[in-house]
Amino acid sequence: MKKYGLYPGCLMPTEQYSYELSLRETLPLLDVELVDIPDFSCCGEPLKSVNKMMTIYLSARNLALAEKHHLDLLVPCPMCHLALSECKRILTRNEEIHEKITVTLESEHLKYTGKTNLFHTVDLLHDVVGVDEIKKHIKTPFKELKTAVHYGCHLLRPTDVGRPVNAENPQKIEAILKAIGLKPYDYAQKLDCCGAPLLVNHPETSLTKTGQKLQAVQTQGFELFVDVCPWCHKMFDSRQTKAGETVATKLQVPVVYLTQLLGVALGADIKKLGFNLNQSPIEKLLLE
Amino acid sequence: MSIRDLTSMAEAQGLQRKEINERLKKLQNDVSDYCFQCAKCTSGCEAHKLLELEPHKIVALLKKGLIDELVNADIIWTCMSCLKCFERCPQNVAPVEILYALKNLAVANGKQIPGQYTAILQSVLSLGLIQDIQTMTTKENITIKRDDLGLPPLSKPVDSATFQTAIMKLALEKI
Repeated sequence: MKKYGLYPGCLMPTEQYSYELSLRETLPLLDVELVDIPDFSCCGEPLKSVNKMMTIYLSARNLALAEKHHLDLLVPCPMCHLALSECKRILTRNEEIHEKITVTLESEHLKYTGKTNLFHTVDLLHDVVGVDEIKKHIKTPFKELKTAVHYGCHLLRPTDVGRPVNAENPQKIEAILKAIGLKPYDYAQKLDCCGAPLLVNHPETSLTKTGQKLQAVQTQGFELFVDVCPWCHKMFDSRQTKAGETVATKLQVPVVYLTQLLGVALGADIKKLGFNLNQSPIEKLLLE
Repeated sequence: MSIRDLTSMAEAQGLQRKEINERLKKLQNDVSDYCFQCAKCTSGCEAHKLLELEPHKIVALLKKGLIDELVNADIIWTCMSCLKCFERCPQNVAPVEILYALKNLAVANGKQIPGQYTAILQSVLSLGLIQDIQTMTTKENITIKRDDLGLPPLSKPVDSATFQTAIMKLALEKI
């Protein structure tokens, strides 16, 4: 069994419970064990506009904690994943910052060496577990639903920092979805932003962004929308009705986490995958 | 120490301003050497479509050294950090990093931080996370929290006093 520390971040453990529930339920079915580590803090990414130094410190702190437990990390939030990856990159390249961070970490009795490897849900499933292995465990495949995939900006870009998927033509989630019987198609708006980063200071524009993307997805006749980011999911699922108002459309797109779908296909208890927390119309999906 | 100290202690933040200014200077040199104003960044910019942010113009203004004007402009706060500009620039310039540096400088200068950033900052300082456990409503209209779902306790800084001191020190550059 492969063992990873779970770095939950802020949003998933405080409100996006269905992501966490489905991760914890699904991954053990694929021989992946998640270890809880106490004492984690925010990754710092939401504060990058305010003080980048603080972002780097918060990330380094979390990486140092993982080192203390001798574990690689599963980071299910793309935003956290980028913050931690970028922190590793900066600390390798900039000695001055490295020294400053090291001194401050000492005050918290922590030490950063940079040996922690980072995984996101997508590359853990696609690259570490592997699509062939997933296929072996499938109990109830889905019928061929036309599916749209949303990766989330921070998972795709920037290639410069090193991202788990291809920036312009990502296909890893698609490969997993095909394995469980669904029919994913590319669409023009696939790489677009969900709008969430602007929730902080331009909430209405942020919702318009969400609305525009979902409207395009609905118009193109997609029956299902899959994401892997707690921020994107918050926009597309919980705020779908509100987002629809900004583009004067009644939006009815079923939005689910990749791990929720995978859980169903692998025969996990549906009640434990957090489907009752999805606000978008997913009933049709579960009845079939 | 309060949030006010962190955002308005201009003097204590001298060192911090120095760091940001150096960062900007380096970015400025980079863009002067490489950016040829092809505007590919703006053509893909998510914030351009809705809020009229034009990354190539930000780069041009930085090239001219109009840093004060940029720092005081509201437009720098419209970036969605979708990172398309950085990804697609044929010359490997990162307008998004320029915007981050400008926003950092605005904060270090004591300019009012827009929107909910102050609240997020306050929450990270006191709790270690951007928000505490939220009550969610299920499809059946039942309100639930984390522990109702059998999830393990929330991972957050255990020794919050030490955590706070560390992060404050770093923010105020008094190490």
